[in-house]
Amino acid sequence: MSALVTVLASGDGAPLWILAAGPAGALGTYWAIYRYYRNTDKSHAFERDTLIEAQPVQGHEEKVDHISRTRDPDIDGDNSAKYRERVRRLR
Amino acid sequence: MTQDDQHSDAPAAEPRKPVFDGPPLSLEEELAAARAEPEAGPTIETINDSLADGVNRCPKCGSTDVQLRASTGMLVCLFCRHQWQEERVEEEFGLGVGIDELEGTVIASGAQEIAEGADDIVTLTCGGCGAEVVVDTAHAMNARCHWCRHTLNVNQRTPNGAVPDAVLPFKLTRDEAVEKIREFAGKRRLFAHPRFRKEFVPENVLGVYLPYLVVDARAEASYTGRGEVQTRRWTEKSGDNSVTYYAADVYQVDRSVSFTVDDLTMEGAADRAQFDSSTTNNIVNTILPFDTKNAVRWNSSYLVGFTSEKRDLDVADLSPKLEDQLLSIGRSQVHGSLDRFDRGVRWEGEKVDVGGSRWVSMYLPVWIYSYYQENTKMLHYIAVNARTGETMGSVPVSQWRLILAALTVGTFLEGIAGAILVGTA
Ligand SMILES: [Zn+2]
Ligand SMILES: [Zn+2]
Repeated sequence: MSALVTVLASGDGAPLWILAAGPAGALGTYWAIYRYYRNTDKSHAFERDTLIEAQPVQGHEEKVDHISRTRDPDIDGDNSAKYRERVRRLR
Repeated sequence: MTQDDQHSDAPAAEPRKPVFDGPPLSLEEELAAARAEPEAGPTIETINDSLADGVNRCPKCGSTDVQLRASTGMLVCLFCRHQWQEERVEEEFGLGVGIDELEGTVIASGAQEIAEGADDIVTLTCGGCGAEVVVDTAHAMNARCHWCRHTLNVNQRTPNGAVPDAVLPFKLTRDEAVEKIREFAGKRRLFAHPRFRKEFVPENVLGVYLPYLVVDARAEASYTGRGEVQTRRWTEKSGDNSVTYYAADVYQVDRSVSFTVDDLTMEGAADRAQFDSSTTNNIVNTILPFDTKNAVRWNSSYLVGFTSEKRDLDVADLSPKLEDQLLSIGRSQVHGSLDRFDRGVRWEGEKVDVGGSRWVSMYLPVWIYSYYQENTKMLHYIAVNARTGETMGSVPVSQWRLILAALTVGTFLEGIAGAILVGTA
């Protein structure tokens, strides 16, 4: 919370959106405590905590397109780290 | 003359006839073949022959007064004090070796389809909460439900689940578990529901063996998707604001990886296999992994003083879930090869070929303190891994205290924000 306060205090000519700090802080506090008590988000990390022996990763990539101008700093729908989010199954 | 004779008389030069060229089958034969059970895959025979008469005897004096001593993980004869343990299944049945050569689905005898058992191990349905609890009636005619502590009795028996192949004995003592639970709940006092705080008695912890299927598997997983590499980044002024723009190359990305997993542990009870935030099912899952390599051959003497739960999921039920978990593992394995795509990768298609899998059914030891929250009808519990001591739980919260705290923080931040606005206006 103190980090947030520092950020808020550092602005010169503070924008109106900082009024969202109250509701955001309230909601954040609620969820942080709730999670700490109920642990609904926890699960066994079998991707890491199982004995796995892998061969070297195979693969290739091919340039198919170019984006010359976008305001989007990253790809849409990046799921490369969301290991458990299933996508279309190939046969 | 039989067909065999004819065949042996045939000139040696004639090539052996392919199987499909034999005389046509009658419709009757075709139908019989279609109806026949699929040929069973290989089985690991884990049945404990020394228990053939259904009685567990001390190998030294023959007494049946045998139970587990948790501090050593050994069985102890209460008559002559002899201590021993069953062989580790890891060596006994060659588990853990040859995973990279597994073919098809290999199922240990205890992991086979769940059948009715006719021994002393019976399943009782709890009249309090409906859970199905397995009890060794040779040693106890009644027991308590480990979820709601309701006393069970034999009149509520239901057909039994399969006897497991292996059991991992309790290691953490009851006192150690009580200490873990007290510590876990102790850190969560302030916002705990007042009724929970009043009724919390960690000494009510119960030792329970939960059913799992432990899987070794060999698989190849493949992924296909799009990745982007940033080629340029610049800012443009538009009025008072400056806007950042990017240029990027888009790639078609394919990855595949072959791997083996050793002792992937999957929930064997349907009640707990479904995770979503409206239940506390994820809690027991979170205290995995267990040191399953130390599991020993099933012997019901390990059950004395504990309850256990019936396995109601078969290999067939869990195969789709195994594929999901293998896909997740494969994704984590290929993740390190995506570094050059600094704008990220979006997987769009994935595939897994399970070359082979080997399934063993196992009882794993957990200390459980449970608490049923009346007003929300939710079962909360704190579970302790009775091998590693890892502890996880769900503590009912006092909603109004939580809201009050949230509002206090919110009001405080809003006050600062307001002061900044006023100060810089
Ligand atoms: Zn003895
Ligand atoms: Zn119950």
